[in-house]
Amino acid sequence: MALIELDHIGKTYDLGLSKVAALHDIHFAIEPGEFVAIIGQSGSGKSTLMNILGCLDVPTTGRYRLAGRDVSELSDDELADVRNQEIGFIFQSFQLLPRASALENVELPLIYRGIPRKERRDRAVDALERVQLASRMTHKPTELSGGQRQRVAIARALVTEPSLLLADEPTGNLDSRTGEEIVGLFLELHRKGNTIVLVTHEPRLAARCPRAVRIVDGLVVADGPGREVAMANAEAMGAEVVAQVLAAQAAAEAHAKEEA
Amino acid sequence: MAASALPKLRARPKGLGFLRSLVRFFAELRDAVAQAARSLLAHKLRAALTIAGVAVGIMAVIIIFMVEAGMASSFAKQLNSLGPNTLYVHKWAWGVNGRDWWKLRNRPTVGQLDYRALVANTRLAEAIAPVAETEAVVVRGDKELKNVEVNGTTEAFLESGGWQLRRGRFISDLDHEIGSDACVIGADVEDAVFKNQDPLGQRLRVGPIMRCTVVGSLVRKGTAFGRSQDGLLVLPLSSFLRSFGAKRGLTIAVVAPAGKVMETEDEIISVMRAARRLGPDQDDNFSVNRQDKILQGFNQTMMSVNIVGILVGVITAIVAGIGIMNILLVSVKERTREIGIRRALGARRASILMQFLCEAVMVALLGGALGVALGAGAAALIDILSPMPASIDPRVVVGGVLGSCILGAVFGLWPALSAAFLHPIEALRHE
Repeated sequence: MALIELDHIGKTYDLGLSKVAALHDIHFAIEPGEFVAIIGQSGSGKSTLMNILGCLDVPTTGRYRLAGRDVSELSDDELADVRNQEIGFIFQSFQLLPRASALENVELPLIYRGIPRKERRDRAVDALERVQLASRMTHKPTELSGGQRQRVAIARALVTEPSLLLADEPTGNLDSRTGEEIVGLFLELHRKGNTIVLVTHEPRLAARCPRAVRIVDGLVVADGPGREVAMANAEAMGAEVVAQVLAAQAAAEAHAKEEA
Repeated sequence: MAASALPKLRARPKGLGFLRSLVRFFAELRDAVAQAARSLLAHKLRAALTIAGVAVGIMAVIIIFMVEAGMASSFAKQLNSLGPNTLYVHKWAWGVNGRDWWKLRNRPTVGQLDYRALVANTRLAEAIAPVAETEAVVVRGDKELKNVEVNGTTEAFLESGGWQLRRGRFISDLDHEIGSDACVIGADVEDAVFKNQDPLGQRLRVGPIMRCTVVGSLVRKGTAFGRSQDGLLVLPLSSFLRSFGAKRGLTIAVVAPAGKVMETEDEIISVMRAARRLGPDQDDNFSVNRQDKILQGFNQTMMSVNIVGILVGVITAIVAGIGIMNILLVSVKERTREIGIRRALGARRASILMQFLCEAVMVALLGGALGVALGAGAAALIDILSPMPASIDPRVVVGGVLGSCILGAVFGLWPALSAAFLHPIEALRHE
C-alpha cells in the first residue's frame, strides 16, 4: 500500500473578494521508502502541497491518505496527533526553539507523544548521535552553525521514527558545502529505508533524488526520475548552464557508482 | 492505482491511552513552566514591573481586609464594656435610621412610672437602674470642666454599667429617696478637678444651680467608640430631676441574669405593655435595646466599608490583570514562531493554551506571593505603630495566593486563546 495517496487534491484560498486556487487536481502516490523531490518555482503551489502533505493544512477538494488513513477531514487536534506520529518536519529556517538546548529541541516531539522522561532523553541522544551531533547536545541553537542547526532539526524529525520525513528547502539557508553535507545525510537516510519528501526550487537538488514531481501553477507537469525532471525543468527555464551542470553532476555520480 | 476508489473514511489517529496521556500532560506542564520561567527571565524588567503591579494590588486588598478585621474586633471589645447582659429600655430604638424617626418621636418618654412598674413587676432582673442624662459644666473654685456627662440614677447603676468604685461609696437608694446632694465622679473628672487631692467631701458646682458633695469616685473604664467614658458625674436621680428638669426621659438599664437575656427582655416588654395599658393590637411604644442592636448599626457601617474594600480590590485586580494581559500579549507575539514549531511537532491547541496560561499564572503567583509578603509586613508595621491590633490571617495568605492564580488565569485566557488558535502555517512564517 502506498504511504501517501493524493486523490485529486485541490486547494482554494478564499480571500474574501476573490478566490485563489493554489492547487488543481494533484493526483499521485508515494510508496514507503521513496525519496521524492517536489520541485517548482515560488508561487507554483509547492508550499501549499507541502502544508497539505504535512497535515498543517487540509485540501478543499479531494482526499489525502497518509499511511492508510484519510486525513482530509480530521479535526485540528487529530491533525496535530497525526503530525506528531507520522511526520518529521525539516524546515528551511530550521525552526528550533531558540531558548532550548539541542537535546531539549530533539525531545520536544516526544513530549507530545507522552514518552516518559528517561526514554525521551535516551531517544533524543540516540537521534543526535545519528546526525553526529552527540558532542553538541547542551548547546543552544545560537551556539551552533547553520549546518549543525539543520542536523539538530533532522534529529528532531527522526526521533519520533515518523513514516514520512518532510523537508522544505532544507539547504536553502546553508552555503553550498554545508548544503551538500545535508543532502548526503538525506541520501543516507533514504538508503536506510526512510521515506523522504523534499520540497525545493533548485533543480540541482531535485536531480539528486531518485524521483521528482514538478509542479507548475498548481498542476503536476512532470513525474519521473529526478535527473530527467530536473533537466527538463532547467531546459524549460532556458537555463542551459544549469542543464550542463546537471549533466556533469550526473556523470560524476555515475562514475562514483561504477567505482563503488 | 485507482485512488478515487478510496473509501470516504474518517480515520482518527490512534489515541495515546490513559497512561501516556498522563505522562504527556505532566511533561507538557513541566515544559510549560520551564519555558515560562525562561521567558520571564529573558525580560526581567518587564516581568518585574508586572509582578510589582500584581503585588501592590494584592497588598492593597490585604491591608483593607486587615483594617476591617481590626475594626470589627476592637468594636466587639468596646461593646463588651457596656455591660454584656444589660438591656436598655428607652423611647428610641438604637441603630434606627431616618425612616422610622417620625414613628418613634411621638412615643411617650420613658419615665419614673415605667421605672416603678419594672421594679415592682419584673422577677428575672438582677438590677434595675433608671438613668437620666445631660451635659453640664463642673466648676470647683477656679477650675472648670466642660462637657461632663451628668447622670441621675440609683444604686443599681453601678452594676448595670459594669462600674467599679475607686474611692468612697456610690449613690445609695437613700440618696435618691431624700434627694441628697451626694455625687460620684468619673476618673477623668477626678483627674481634672482634684489633681493629687482627695476628692471625698469636696464640694462641686454642676451646671448653673446644682451644688453637690463628692462621696466617691469610679475606676477608669477607658474609651468606647472613640469617646472617653470616664468624664461623668453621677447624682441621685431625684436630685438630678430637681435641678435639670423633671420631664426628662429616662433610660432604664436592666441587668439580666447571664444566659437569660431573651427571657428578661420578654418580661420587660410584657411589664411595660401592662404598665402603659397597651391593647393587643397596639405596637410597643418603647424600645428594649441590646448591644447587638448597636452591632447591627455597626454592621451596616462595616458593610459600606466592605463594599469600598471590595471595589478597591476589584479595581486593583483589573489594573493588575491588564498588566498581565499586556505582558502575555507581547509574549505571544514574540513566541509566535515557537507556537508554530510546537504545533508542527504535534502540540494540540490545548497544549499551547496551557503554555501561556502557565506564564500568566506564574507572573500572577509571583506577584501574589510578593503582595502577601508586603501585606504581612504592613500588618506588622500597623501592629507596632498604631493602637489597632493587626495580624495576618492564614486564610488571607491562602486567599491572596489563590486569588492571584485566578487573576492570572482569567486575564491570561484571552491572549492564551489567541495563541492557541493561531494557524500553524502562519505562526511558522512569522518573523
